[in-house]
Amino acid sequence: MNVPVPNIGADLASRARGVSSLRDFLELLGEQGQAIEWRERVMPEPDIRNIAVAASRDVNGAPAILFDNIVGYPGKKTVVGVHGSWNNIATLLGQPKGTTIREMFFDIAGRWGRKGAQMSRVPAGQAPVHECRIEKDINLYDLLPVYRINEYDGGFYLAKASVASRDPLDPGNFGKQNVGIYRLQLHGPDRFTLMTIPSHDMGRQIMAAERENVPFKIAVMLGNHPGLALFAATPIGYDESEYDYASAMMGAPIRLTESGDGIDILADSEIVIEAELQLGERVIEGPFGEFPGSYSGVRRAPVFKVTAVSHRRDPIFENIYIGRGWTEHDTLIGLNTSAPIYAQLRESFPEVTAVNALYQHGMTGIIAVRNRMAGFAKSVALRALGTPHGIMYLKNLIMVDADVDPFDLNQVMWALSTRTRADDIMVLPNMAMVPIDPAAAVPGKGHHLIIDATSFMPPDPVGEAHLVTPPSGREIEALSKRILEMQNGKVA
Amino acid sequence: MTCPRCLGREANVNHEGREGETVVWRILHCLACSFSWRDSEPASAVDPAVRDADFRVDASKAELFPIVLPPSRR
Repeated sequence: MNVPVPNIGADLASRARGVSSLRDFLELLGEQGQAIEWRERVMPEPDIRNIAVAASRDVNGAPAILFDNIVGYPGKKTVVGVHGSWNNIATLLGQPKGTTIREMFFDIAGRWGRKGAQMSRVPAGQAPVHECRIEKDINLYDLLPVYRINEYDGGFYLAKASVASRDPLDPGNFGKQNVGIYRLQLHGPDRFTLMTIPSHDMGRQIMAAERENVPFKIAVMLGNHPGLALFAATPIGYDESEYDYASAMMGAPIRLTESGDGIDILADSEIVIEAELQLGERVIEGPFGEFPGSYSGVRRAPVFKVTAVSHRRDPIFENIYIGRGWTEHDTLIGLNTSAPIYAQLRESFPEVTAVNALYQHGMTGIIAVRNRMAGFAKSVALRALGTPHGIMYLKNLIMVDADVDPFDLNQVMWALSTRTRADDIMVLPNMAMVPIDPAAAVPGKGHHLIIDATSFMPPDPVGEAHLVTPPSGREIEALSKRILEMQNGKVA
Repeated sequence: MTCPRCLGREANVNHEGREGETVVWRILHCLACSFSWRDSEPASAVDPAVRDADFRVDASKAELFPIVLPPSRR
């Protein structure tokens, strides 16, 4: 009898494309051994934080963790770590566990763009997200099992919310709808602040609404299609739709419906909070343990009032642990921070071969480039500082040759050791910077650094010593694999 | 009801977590500095006597806290 040999790779890819909700993805993660249920009773603080931090020590293999036995929240569920490891990201991309970061980078870079996006429309009455609807006596604390993410946060945060909004001055424009991840701090049963800056799409929309004195409504999506969370955190053009990107890059349709306040939302989200900006009002916000691994300052931030909540039956509240790395934030946004910088650089410089901006949202980045001439890498670095993300975030840039894998830090350190002279650095003083960078001269302004760790080329008179060329290629890769199998006892 | 962060005296009870009929914790919100806390949290976060003083906030000096997106003046 002929038994068909399952094509595991193709099956994984098609399973990933079939994911349309958080629930689907948790099921797939569970099958892959990448999701666990924490049934033991936990206190909201400090237990959930402690467990999330302990899990994120394993950056390659950490599972998503679902809690359903939280003191004071009977029947409520929360999940953390959905994008919390490289294996979970690989599963989302339809790749086997153990796929290298470099392979995933080229996978995402190859998918980059919005060509082939497919939107399907679900009538509001049939959308799972609208199964339950609350329009009166709203108490978010009663609906969401929130917990203090870091010990000195100023309150309880929704830190993995994808916030959708229409341009208040062009509400009919699909492309100008924005979806982004912004931190939300609860300030009572039906009020929250939203942290943004003028250069973010959301900041731009809030300022426009206040300038023109027009209402500004948002829809806060919690527990979403994991592809949206991956791509809503990515800087794309103002008139480009994050939904288009998510669909094109997942290679599958995105199911949209309309929120009660007229915004396009995911039909299969767990929870959607509809809210309206309180024009001109600011409330003390923060601090919040942020991705640089330090607390943000205390500021006065825009505030929103909740007007309605929709949720699925038995909703799962998704949140994130963020703080001193590695955390879920790093695996969530690392590759989609790197890929657009790569794509934008290659428009001017096809010699760029890879970009690793995994560290603290790109506060340190490593760019591999095939030098066209001596000193060329420095020009490429300057171009990187002019990309949308680079302007503020790319603080320390290390330039390496194309024969160095920027995702292999041992190789990067080799390049720094052997190819960098003390005057191969450029300090660019007093430039734009991420406001929460603790090393900034003043918040929002500071120095950028370029280290050229590429090899010397003519007309440089200092030559490199003759390089050792160790054996490489398929034969060596096969031998490495065999050694590992022998070590694991799989081969006699 | 003293705020662990600014020592303000006025706070709202936003929510009571229950197990059956028993209240197991309360979430409070300071009306002066907007701090929210759960009274079941470890003392290091919610007991002003042991809480790290670096994270204290003086709510009477709001001007110390930068305004995010200054509202436009019309």
